[in-house]
Amino acid sequence: MDIVYTQPLKELLQVSTYFNEQLVVLVTNEKDEKVAKTNSLLPCYLISESTPENELQKLSSKTRAVLGGSVKANELAVRIKADYLLQPSGDKQFFDLGLAQKLAANGTIVVLMFEELLKANSFERHQYWKNYLELVRYCKQKNTKFIVASGTKDPLLLRPPKVREALAVLLGLPAEKAREYLNETIKVK
Amino acid sequence: MKIEKNKKAIVPLSKRERKRYILFEVLNGEVAEKDFYFGFWIELLSFFGSKGLAEINPKIVLFKSNKAIIKCKRGKELDLIAGTAFIEKIKNKKIIINPILTSGTVKTLKEHAKI
Repeated sequence: MDIVYTQPLKELLQVSTYFNEQLVVLVTNEKDEKVAKTNSLLPCYLISESTPENELQKLSSKTRAVLGGSVKANELAVRIKADYLLQPSGDKQFFDLGLAQKLAANGTIVVLMFEELLKANSFERHQYWKNYLELVRYCKQKNTKFIVASGTKDPLLLRPPKVREALAVLLGLPAEKAREYLNETIKVK
Repeated sequence: MKIEKNKKAIVPLSKRERKRYILFEVLNGEVAEKDFYFGFWIELLSFFGSKGLAEINPKIVLFKSNKAIIKCKRGKELDLIAGTAFIEKIKNKKIIINPILTSGTVKTLKEHAKI
């Protein structure tokens, strides 16, 4: 399973088919959702702190991913029982043991979007790495699911599943768990 | 003055450091061996640092038709595979490095890759 942004779907599909894995596409409206479905990709609504409450209620029956990166956004993922929490920490840490426990209870998957790490400069990259080492330690303690996703728009920045699995192991996740979480089949709502 | 050549002591097989070989393929276009070597080294060095890279001890054994066999210390295979995620471009050309197979011998990988 890999998570990417919407454009350009055909090339993304081509690369993901080569890697033989399911592709979850982050969408923001129904039009994008339809396009993703016609391209046999799995759509997932991207929600942020600024998403209005009535919109959240409308999307309650859909697959949802919350873009984290602040205390509020991370709490939103817990409140709405989102399927994915993307980038809960950046160069600052917003993740703790309590949050990990709540996410585990909801079955939310914590996702590291690899492109953000790749685009960061060497100083930011070290901050990211430090925060994610801590985050994975919490996830391991509370059995919260954690994966590394490509999180890109560029098909040439998609990373093979073996590489993402190795990154998760390098962050401290046991190899079997890293494989299990990545190979999990996704239910389309 | 006569220079005496010292014969290198042969380390017995049982005492030699164990190694693993990993077969990688480079996706998206042709890459020259030199460019691959340079790009590979720079990115790994920036991610792992001198100490980390010395611990992994990677060596490019063979590079042929966009496939590379890279040797590393046993137990450090995952580190090497994870490190390749950071190789984004080689000579300003975007590439993806895909690990195919890990083995204890080069022969197996050569047979698998048909190189």
